[in-house]
Amino acid sequence: MPPKPHRVLLDRVSGYADEAAAYMRRRRAFRRPFARLYYGGGRAEDHAGDTELGGELFVAAGRLIELAGKRPKP
Amino acid sequence: MPDGATRATASGDSAELALGFLAEMSPDLRGAAILDGDGGVLAATADPERWEEDVAALFDVGDRAGEEQVEQIHIGTEQGEVFALRHAGLAAVAVTERFALASLTFFDLRMLLRDLAAGGDGRGRERDRDEADAS
Repeated sequence: MPPKPHRVLLDRVSGYADEAAAYMRRRRAFRRPFARLYYGGGRAEDHAGDTELGGELFVAAGRLIELAGKRPKP
Repeated sequence: MPDGATRATASGDSAELALGFLAEMSPDLRGAAILDGDGGVLAATADPERWEEDVAALFDVGDRAGEEQVEQIHIGTEQGEVFALRHAGLAAVAVTERFALASLTFFDLRMLLRDLAAGGDGRGRERDRDEADAS
């Protein structure tokens, strides 16, 4: 007997949700700290944290993050 | 500090409204500031003096990285993310939770600065729609 149409739809939706959740888990696991600068014309440069300039960018960002504090509760 | 090519003026009141609107639109936002062409804080979610110092330090490092003035800075750390943008003679900096959508955050900041520079309150089309609804 063929599955009921709403079952097919539910299976498909939950399949997409599982895929999305897995993508987010992978992204969280693999995304490392980064510092990216953009210039006019769309040019971008990455700076690693172990370079002098990259280190300074992370220090400056850290101060701003500390200043902003935690997200205010709704 | 923001780009020297164009100098925009925006009032502190408009910037405050814009910041409130930004906080409303961005659930990941922890804090933000809007600065004028000289690097002075027009509006900030906390201690304006510290925002002024820390944003100046960030753009200073960014500008030393290349031969031209940096337009956008995006730094992601374990503790959160920092987005900084110069546009239309103004600057905006936002600190968000990790994994905030970068393109969306920069788009919101850019729209906000564009509207402020044009004499608005950062709400742009939203305000136009409200006014159209009211009339």
